[in-house]
Amino acid sequence: MDLFANLAIGFEVALSPMTLILAVVGCFLGTIIGALPGLGPSNGVAILIPITFTMGLDATAALVLLTSVYYGAMYGGRISSILLNIPGDEPAMMTTLDGYPMAKNGRAGDALVISGVASFVGAFLATVALALVAPYLARIAYKFGPAEYFALYALAFATLGGMASNNQAKSALASFIGLGIALIGIDNNSGFTRFTGGNLHLADGIDFLVAIVGLFAVSEVFFFIESHGKGSAVGVVLGKVTVPWREIWSTRWTMLRSSAVGFVAGVLPGAGASLGSFMTYMMEKSIAGKQGGFGTGVAKGVAAPEAGNNAAAGGALVPMLTLGVPGSGTTAVLLAVLMTLNITPGPTLFADRPDVVWGLIAALLIANFVLLAMNVPMVKVFVRILQVPPAILLPGVTMISFVGIYSLSGSYFDLLLMVGFGVMGYIFRKMDIPTVPVILGILLGYQMENNLRHAMTLSGGEWTYLLSSPISIGLWIAAALGFIAPMFLRRFLRKPQMVTD
Amino acid sequence: MIRSDRILGVVVVIVALAFIVSAYNLPAGNLFDKLGPKAFPIIVAVGMLVSAVGLILRPDPEADWPEMPSLVSIGFATLVLIGYAYSLKPLGFLAPTAVAAAILSYQISPRPLPAVLTGVGLSAGLFIIFKYALGLGLFALPRGLLG
Amino acid sequence: MNKTLKVLLTSAALTFTAGSAFATECIAPANPGGGWDFTCRQIGKILFDIGLVSDPVQVTNMAGAGGGLAFAHVVNERNTDEDLIVAASSATTTRLAQNAFGGMTADQVRFVGAIGADPGVIVVAADSPFQTLTDLVEAIKADPGSVAFAGGSAAGGFDHMKPLQVLKAAGFSDITSVKYIGVDGGADAITQTIGGFTQAMTGDMSEIVGFINSGEVRALAVLTEERVPGFDQIPTAIEQGYDVVAVNWRGLYVPKGISDEAFNAWGEKLAAVAASAEWQEAMAANGLAPFTKVGGDFQSWIDQVVADTVELSKEIGVIQ
Repeated sequence: MDLFANLAIGFEVALSPMTLILAVVGCFLGTIIGALPGLGPSNGVAILIPITFTMGLDATAALVLLTSVYYGAMYGGRISSILLNIPGDEPAMMTTLDGYPMAKNGRAGDALVISGVASFVGAFLATVALALVAPYLARIAYKFGPAEYFALYALAFATLGGMASNNQAKSALASFIGLGIALIGIDNNSGFTRFTGGNLHLADGIDFLVAIVGLFAVSEVFFFIESHGKGSAVGVVLGKVTVPWREIWSTRWTMLRSSAVGFVAGVLPGAGASLGSFMTYMMEKSIAGKQGGFGTGVAKGVAAPEAGNNAAAGGALVPMLTLGVPGSGTTAVLLAVLMTLNITPGPTLFADRPDVVWGLIAALLIANFVLLAMNVPMVKVFVRILQVPPAILLPGVTMISFVGIYSLSGSYFDLLLMVGFGVMGYIFRKMDIPTVPVILGILLGYQMENNLRHAMTLSGGEWTYLLSSPISIGLWIAAALGFIAPMFLRRFLRKPQMVTD
Repeated sequence: MIRSDRILGVVVVIVALAFIVSAYNLPAGNLFDKLGPKAFPIIVAVGMLVSAVGLILRPDPEADWPEMPSLVSIGFATLVLIGYAYSLKPLGFLAPTAVAAAILSYQISPRPLPAVLTGVGLSAGLFIIFKYALGLGLFALPRGLLG
Repeated sequence: MNKTLKVLLTSAALTFTAGSAFATECIAPANPGGGWDFTCRQIGKILFDIGLVSDPVQVTNMAGAGGGLAFAHVVNERNTDEDLIVAASSATTTRLAQNAFGGMTADQVRFVGAIGADPGVIVVAADSPFQTLTDLVEAIKADPGSVAFAGGSAAGGFDHMKPLQVLKAAGFSDITSVKYIGVDGGADAITQTIGGFTQAMTGDMSEIVGFINSGEVRALAVLTEERVPGFDQIPTAIEQGYDVVAVNWRGLYVPKGISDEAFNAWGEKLAAVAASAEWQEAMAANGLAPFTKVGGDFQSWIDQVVADTVELSKEIGVIQ
């Protein structure tokens, strides 16, 4: 069978010592990054990208390292959710709802183990599903012409924007600002320079890595300066960690259901892991009903969102690899990696670079086992790392960001831009303006414009061409729904504000 | 009532108008490129305009801005980072990194000695990692000193 | 190519430019890993291996402005350097012809030779009604809007020029009415063509090999003088009656100010590299077809190519 032949190729790549080491290092770093409050998968991967390139890793190695960090961060995010009631990253938000109460009841160890196993189940099943469906979904790309791609990008903005904020105007604003930034520089089609204000540094455009690191990493330091690093001391003491086998078994259906739902949520372009954990938590809560005790510290309340968000993380790789449209903030960052490595996602990726695709999938399968080992028996190590005071951590993150960007371009101008994006990230996040759509805009702006221009060229300027196929009509409808629906569902989906006690 | 949402809205409206004006000076499309370089920017700018107007008309409750001292502190940190960006090339890695890291550390947790130690430690530690473990071409000291 | 890579490479170029004054230097006006880099590294290595230079050739990557940075550097600062060679390809001459190097022109350097080429091809989907190049040309003559081409270069770029040259050779003059979209690389162009969004793809042989082998596309013509070894089933445009040769050649230019002896010496060295077994292997491994033209011969061919490109570019309005 094809799948096994492909996986054999993959494992051949993934089982090389170098790749294995990178996977383990990636998992370790990722778990730390995920566990540290404020640092999540997006900023973790963002900080490491420039360094990966300057290390001269080849495409597969770089991808393995960075996706291991990605998966690791998805696992690690739950640690601070449970112990500190601070989500290590956004998708881990739902885990605070039952994880922290459990920890306060003196069951921090149980919560960590259950959520670790749930993470494994979700991520493992999603990786298997990725291996099964991605090659078939990749064929879909042949059905995507300029009009369909344009609609797909619109869908990504609509669903991501719809989910990311409590105010649609702000999500839309963030998307358009990102697109506007993407337009700066020389227009490849016509050779005209646009919106640079005559600044030569801007002629080649604004590098998305500069924006990513600025918005995700540098802005973090401002938050810690504002709070003077308060609220980061470990609030709950972790006792002896044992494995609550019976309780884990009792959540088996929850984990399986949540993995399936999470994966589907992840596959939707733009929806991503946060949606996965919202949906699975809400679903399990309603299945369990009042007697379920969700919110008071029950095992299912920890298992559902963790299986869900880790499955979504795997699912989000599907649209990224097959269509080049990221399903989440972090896959947007990973897409930036692919683009920088000159790897074109799509059906040709599966045909031309099986080493990349299957090596990645095999590495992810291995990474899952590594992560299970790290996150269950070794969880105490990471709890200790949580105690690194922010007064050391944040300056460190900032300096790493500077060196990373500087090593890419050697340009002080990019560093200034990065600081600018850092300030922008601080202000935007203060105002509840999501920053992920900004990144998505910068990342997809060029493609979105190109596809629109191509569509118009092919149709001879006929705008109806954009709606001329069932696929594009379907995508536009989904985009409209994805953008509008959260307004009505807000009652249920309102982002839970951090519980204060 | 003026809220920060409205201020941002007005700023974005101005930027969007500037975008549109600037885009109008670009040439229209031709046969190989029906839309040309001006159409999409105008679409994006109109999108900015509409969402900014939405923000002005229906702002959210005021964001939870920090007190004045914190704002000053953040402003100062920004200046430090800008200075750091300018000084990396002429002054080498070690000194600017130590100073910038120490200041940021002090701003997060105002204890002088640990802050200085953090600065020096990060500067030396990161230099060793970047230079020898990752092989980046960093200059430790001002190039002038290296001849 | 994307922005990150550009910056990355500019900085790489800055790091590596300092070198020995005596060894031969080969400037690759782009990133490590691309075609120009390949040219420099292979030619440099073979020159040393077969003993034509006494020291290993030093390769300098100088990316920027699609080769414009390196071109300006050679013209302004290295004009009489006889130990300098620079990697070039069709992209170099296309950009020069279209004034993409800020007013610099092709006659500011000397083109010393090409030693291999990626042949131009015109391809349709396997289920396309067009069986021969003539079918395609006749369909366009009957209704210019009915066929859209996809290619990996921007409008006005080399991939765009290929079908237009064929159409001109067929006596079709209304070439501005032919639709073309420039997507991100040959693979994208093929995907769009297989999907039926465009009716034909124009690109390089190396971009279509995998798709030819998998049977998803049919090559209507290869734009070389002879059929390409290994792809003997693909007819040339010439044998179908369209006198067009469009290949993405790989070669070198040298500074304008060097002596004729030095220029001819480089031509001979390049011919020796082309004849070496090592280069034959490198070509086979990289999907290049033999294409050797050196010295004055090459320079006059280049002059003609540039003149043709200028004419065509003016016709389609890429330059005034």
